[in-house]
Amino acid sequence: MSAVTCVDLCKTYRQGEVDIKALDHVSIEIAEGGFVCLSAPSGGGKTTLLNAIGGLDKPDSGEVYIAGRRIDNLSKGELADLRLRQIGFVFQAFNLIPVLTARENVEFVMQVQGVPAADRGQKALEILEEVGLEGLEDRRPADMSGGQQQRVAVARAIVSQPALILADEPTANLDSKTADGLMDLFRHLNEHHNTTFVIATHDKRVMAYAKRLIRMLDGRIVEDIDQDAS
Amino acid sequence: MHRVAILLRLAWRNLWRNHRRTAIMLMAVVLGAWAMIFMTALMRGMVTEVVKDGISALPGHVQVHHPDFSDDPSIANLIPRSDADLQRRFADAGFVQWATRVRVPAVITSEYDSRGVTLLGIDPQQERGLTFVDYDSVDGRFLESTDDPGIVIGAKLARTLNTELGKRIVLMSQDPDNDIADRGFRIVGIFHANVTAFEEAFVFAGKSTVQELLRIGDRVSEVVVLGEDYRDVEPVYARTLALVDGDVKVERWNELDPYLGSMLGVMDGFVLVWIVVIFLALSFGLVNTLVMAVFERVREIGLMLALGMRPVNILGQIVIESLMLLALGLAIGTALSWATVQPIKDGIDISIVGEGLDMWGMSSTLYPELLLSDVILANVVVLILGFLASLSPAWRASHYEPIEAITKV
Amino acid sequence: MNLVFRLAWRNLWRHPKRTWLTTGAMVFSNTLLVFMIALQFGMYGLMIDNTLQAFTGHMQIQAPGYIDDQKMRQTVPDVVPLADSLRDQLGSDTIAARGMAFALASSEDRSYGIAVFGVEPRFEQNVSTIPSLVTEGRFLEGTDAAEIVIGAALARNLKVAPGDELTLLGSGRDGSFAAVVVRIAGVFESGVADFDRSIAEIPLGLFQDVFYMEGSGHQVVVNAPAIDAVPELEARVAALLPADGNLVLHDWDALQPGLKQAIKADMSSAFFMYGILVILVAFSVLNTQLMSVLERTHEFGIVMALGLRPGRLGRLVLLETAIMGILGLLLGAIAGGVLTYYLGITGFSYPGMEEMAAKFNLPARFYPQVTLPTLLIGPGIVFAFTILAALYPALRLHRLHPVEAMRAV
Repeated sequence: MSAVTCVDLCKTYRQGEVDIKALDHVSIEIAEGGFVCLSAPSGGGKTTLLNAIGGLDKPDSGEVYIAGRRIDNLSKGELADLRLRQIGFVFQAFNLIPVLTARENVEFVMQVQGVPAADRGQKALEILEEVGLEGLEDRRPADMSGGQQQRVAVARAIVSQPALILADEPTANLDSKTADGLMDLFRHLNEHHNTTFVIATHDKRVMAYAKRLIRMLDGRIVEDIDQDAS
Repeated sequence: MHRVAILLRLAWRNLWRNHRRTAIMLMAVVLGAWAMIFMTALMRGMVTEVVKDGISALPGHVQVHHPDFSDDPSIANLIPRSDADLQRRFADAGFVQWATRVRVPAVITSEYDSRGVTLLGIDPQQERGLTFVDYDSVDGRFLESTDDPGIVIGAKLARTLNTELGKRIVLMSQDPDNDIADRGFRIVGIFHANVTAFEEAFVFAGKSTVQELLRIGDRVSEVVVLGEDYRDVEPVYARTLALVDGDVKVERWNELDPYLGSMLGVMDGFVLVWIVVIFLALSFGLVNTLVMAVFERVREIGLMLALGMRPVNILGQIVIESLMLLALGLAIGTALSWATVQPIKDGIDISIVGEGLDMWGMSSTLYPELLLSDVILANVVVLILGFLASLSPAWRASHYEPIEAITKV
Repeated sequence: MNLVFRLAWRNLWRHPKRTWLTTGAMVFSNTLLVFMIALQFGMYGLMIDNTLQAFTGHMQIQAPGYIDDQKMRQTVPDVVPLADSLRDQLGSDTIAARGMAFALASSEDRSYGIAVFGVEPRFEQNVSTIPSLVTEGRFLEGTDAAEIVIGAALARNLKVAPGDELTLLGSGRDGSFAAVVVRIAGVFESGVADFDRSIAEIPLGLFQDVFYMEGSGHQVVVNAPAIDAVPELEARVAALLPADGNLVLHDWDALQPGLKQAIKADMSSAFFMYGILVILVAFSVLNTQLMSVLERTHEFGIVMALGLRPGRLGRLVLLETAIMGILGLLLGAIAGGVLTYYLGITGFSYPGMEEMAAKFNLPARFYPQVTLPTLLIGPGIVFAFTILAALYPALRLHRLHPVEAMRAV
């Protein structure tokens, strides 16, 4: 079964006097264990597609399936549950809840899911160690660097072992060394946990890591390259 | 449970993010809570004093009279049965205290002046502690028996009559045939009352002495009955009703003195209105604080929604934050009101407006009365109304679109 | 419009919700204050008028000491000529002489101790409402006629009606026995039960004969056209009295000391409540203005770097507060005025008020009046505290360093 299926998605935004077609009859299928980069210039539709897949935004028409389940017609509450249990998110910035420490931020999703405290604490520590943040568990976001914050965000995204992780410009605010570290981490998770990654980016370094690269322009898919094969 | 725990933690930490704003709001809530409870304690104290004084002047919680007595409190409207019969009926009924008394209007004349008064023919043993007169603080002595030949009058009356202890006065009233009944008495005692008007209005003589003077045989005007608590008068009323026949009227204290009767109800209403008014004055600041807090946190609220937190939990988080602020303020305010009542609980002297208080029926010492029920009422009302007031900003927060909120700068 | 004003205005509406909530707190308190103060002062006015106009009058000329003891022998000699000359010299008819004695009033069936007033039938109606409250029969006519008007409750209790005879028994000025038979001319009903049960009036000439007054009386009542005119009239009357100190002039405050103190007692609790409301509003303003200053730290840093002095920024903050305050004042005064006006037409009452009001000679429904002072006192004080509350955030600006401020987010 494919992890993500989009069928004929359309979405139009109105900006001032003009209509902008953010998605123009987009259909893609992403297999389980995929590591996909969506690349497009600003306004090319990659964030819109990512949000549609994550159930954060509804397409005007077309269908979205996650692990075989149609999601574009779900209620807000059902979408919230879907995001909570099946999808991990890493955003460009402002990823963390400022009043919670690194560890509490990682625990947050599990806590909302209802995982018992004992399991939660241990698991959060393990994951933080895995992303290389050992010793920083009790810092609040304001006391961490951008890269450290993004790592916490990744830790939070993977901690409940979702099948799908969506990342929107995860490296935008990072220097190249930190960005490489983050991508290595993504690949590592992809290979060891078979987690599907969909990453929206216009960062060339990130695209280099992708197994599959989908280029978009003006809401349409213009190129779909299987880089693993090459 | 876990969800509640995370909501509590988030709410608590968010509360202290803008500590200045929270501190100011907290101070306002503390002041409001203190004012609610402290003021209520003072007012309750006043009302209790008024009612107690009023009841001690009646006296008793329930009284039995001839049906026409309230309109025409005279010799003509005696209870249509003998005192001996009444004594027998009431003796073993288990009341806290009770007494039968003759109560008639009279004119008291000294060698200098005369005044209209209410003459009470009493049994001093039965009346001890029931009447407003403290036997032990009487100048001279109080009456000793029902056939005591002396009379006890108030200090103010003694002054206006230009008379004093040991002097003689003449009491004039009428007998049932409307013949003048008069007799000289020696003043054996002069009493002091905390409501000056009582000192002018009432004079006391022995019941048998008065019965003989008025030529009414073994008859009395009223039975006064004291129960456990004036707030709970019904049991005493019912028991009294069972002891008498239909030819007399049994009345509760709040019927005997409608002014007193209305006070407790008015007071209850006032307490609630006062609490609500203070809350409303606070609520603008409270809602303001929440609106600003939500406004500042739009992005993180969006994040939490994007991560899959349900809108209802966002709502819960804001409401909990608001309730925490209120609960903290209420706790401090309640403690503060308790602390401010402590030093004055033995009474504060407000005699600076003493005669005015006399007019309201109050004595010039105020004993604040901090009732648990009022404390609970204030706390519960504030929490409930606070919950309702928080719903609007919390609702708004929970209905952000996650992507819009998260991208908002 | 001035640039600074425009700036302040626009700043205010950056967060419309916050501004409205803060203004809302003011409007709420102001509305309440306007209404409460109108109600309160209206009631005090009625209490004073009803109490004084019924009988006491605005001021009285008496013998020294009479006010405390009310003894028969503390007389005003030649009271009628004195009243006549005062009427003459002051050009006023609202002056009347009285005598007062306690007596036993007996009908065929009953006797009661009452206060008997000797009054001038021609002038009494100018200083007392009793003549106009006669519901049966008529008021007194001749100055020497053997007639009497009594209260309705007394008439009921004595079982008499106009035309019947009453015997008055008492003691005269010299302590001798005084008695007279009078015919009931009329019955008055004031609605105050105690009053209607205990007061009677006879012509002053008859009174002087019966009680051996030898031309004297006990009081000359002088009424001013309105309560505000009392001090001025008081000075004029005092100037006309002989300087030998045998006569004294008491104003209503001395005659009814309870009245003013009752008002004072009530006022002090009311002002406590108003004070709390005002302080809560001040907290609300403090919170809002402090937030608004803190969130503009960056912006203030820039304009200070450009060379603007902190003092001018402080004035800007105060101006913003003042605009908000004026908005609150106007809206609150209007809302309070409308509410008061509306209740002035429909009348205001609450459960239990009837019993309470009766005790203070007040009607059961109350019609508050809108006046300029009642409209402006409360809102004015709220405005003052609003500005006071904004001082702290405004003064904080002096501690701001431009470079650090610009670094703030």
